[in-house]
Amino acid sequence: MLSFLIYALVNTVFVILISPLFVSLIKKVKAYMQGREGPPLLQTYYLLGKLLKKETVYSGNTSLIIRITPYVNVVCVIAASLFVPVIYIPMSVGGIGNIILFLYLLVCAKFFMALAGLDAGSTFGGMGSSREMTVSAVIEPVIIIVFAALSLLLKTTNLYQMFAISLKSSLFINPSTLLISLSLFIILIVESARIPVDNPETHLELTMIHEAMLLEYSGPDLAMMEISHAIKQTLLMAVLINVLIPWGLTATPGVLSVSISVITFIAKGAVLAIVVGVFESLFAKSRLFRLPNLFMLAFFFSFSTILFELLR
Amino acid sequence: MINLPVLDDITKILFVLVLATAVLIITVRTLSSLFNIYSVQSWFIAAVAFVMYLKTGSIVLLLLTILTIAGKAFLVPYVMRRIQKSMNMKRDVEFRYLTPIGSILVGTAMIFIVYWSFSKFLPELSSDDLFIFGAVIGVSLALMGMMVIFTRKRMITKILGYLTMENGVLLFSLFIAELPFIIELLIVIDLVMLIVLATVLAFGIDSSIDEFHTKLNSFTLWFKE
Repeated sequence: MLSFLIYALVNTVFVILISPLFVSLIKKVKAYMQGREGPPLLQTYYLLGKLLKKETVYSGNTSLIIRITPYVNVVCVIAASLFVPVIYIPMSVGGIGNIILFLYLLVCAKFFMALAGLDAGSTFGGMGSSREMTVSAVIEPVIIIVFAALSLLLKTTNLYQMFAISLKSSLFINPSTLLISLSLFIILIVESARIPVDNPETHLELTMIHEAMLLEYSGPDLAMMEISHAIKQTLLMAVLINVLIPWGLTATPGVLSVSISVITFIAKGAVLAIVVGVFESLFAKSRLFRLPNLFMLAFFFSFSTILFELLR
Repeated sequence: MINLPVLDDITKILFVLVLATAVLIITVRTLSSLFNIYSVQSWFIAAVAFVMYLKTGSIVLLLLTILTIAGKAFLVPYVMRRIQKSMNMKRDVEFRYLTPIGSILVGTAMIFIVYWSFSKFLPELSSDDLFIFGAVIGVSLALMGMMVIFTRKRMITKILGYLTMENGVLLFSLFIAELPFIIELLIVIDLVMLIVLATVLAFGIDSSIDEFHTKLNSFTLWFKE
């Protein structure tokens, strides 16, 4: 129990600390692809620091929802971060690590964000929430299927056990891991609101989804929303990394093995962030009605994973 | 002759990649990327043939590998790119009967049906799971190629559908009924002929079948006079 508490503390703090780095790295890669210098790698940390110092302004029309949403978001993603071990794989305690609960925690955060978008009664917020929910209604079933395929592939619904199994096996033993990783990558793109689904760079444009819901936020509240978004992205990246290339992740606690895990995770995460940045630069924002195409690809890949599993 | 379990696993990974390219051929709209995807798919199939050669040591498979790389990974995409250049057209955005989303759904269902029907009798023919795997993926690839033919409107993408079908047949033949090499050679020559013929047609059509009729009709006027 004590070891789990230590794990919970270290893992969570590590995830919170590393998340803004990946956000900046993706921005940097995109800037390079466009021939710009880009922001410094620590820019997101400065931004969060600046926001935390500022005051919070609420619109007069808002209710309790907009005030509690940042806390709900942060709590949900931090609870979800317990489910995705990146430093070492502990023994599961009290159902933590259950994949369905993990998904529900992420959805809970999203639900409150959509409510908060509606709360102020501004047109942009409402539009953002409406779009977010429309996209979610299509992507959520796909996510469920993808994670169901993942559970079938690795024969467990517990994320800890999944990573332990994928650590022991390899791409050669489970070739379908490759297919499911494609699906997970698409989910990562969709859930972290990136091109071609959403454009994280735009503000006050008719194309935005995620940013539109955050327009009413300011100061520490905005910082909390930003950090929870960054953590969510890191968690999805970690799931993909731990399933596809778990090398370096350790199953035994210890200073040396944990530090190897941490270093390899940062390296793998950086590579994945670069891949995401390049991917984003290669595509244009697609039309809202063309998005199901992308989701269908994820669905197809996860379905064929299930089929491959039947064939084996 | 090398008999390592790792070869089987590599083959399975290649199957996974072939399937991924097949679904991209259904959805991608830019012509140049379509040709690249086809080329990559041919590389994967050549790699499957090469792995089979390593496993069985049959020289026919080695020749097949070389032929596939030379013909399908280089020659055919090159010819296709030339056609595209002369047609002055970059994207194929027109679909009929099925949207790409529908095609993917139907494709998924098709793979399942192929698997379901093959699993009834193939295990009696061979107990090797790679054998069933190859057969299912091969036939599904051929069916997906067929779907490309009837969902795309542009002639040039239809040709790509034929080529994908051929890749599927090749994959199927690698695992189920080993085609004699000479037939395989003839198929490749046929393919090049098909492309040449299709080029001639495509110049007449420059875009879609529907426009072809009007173009032909304008020629019939000459004969009437």
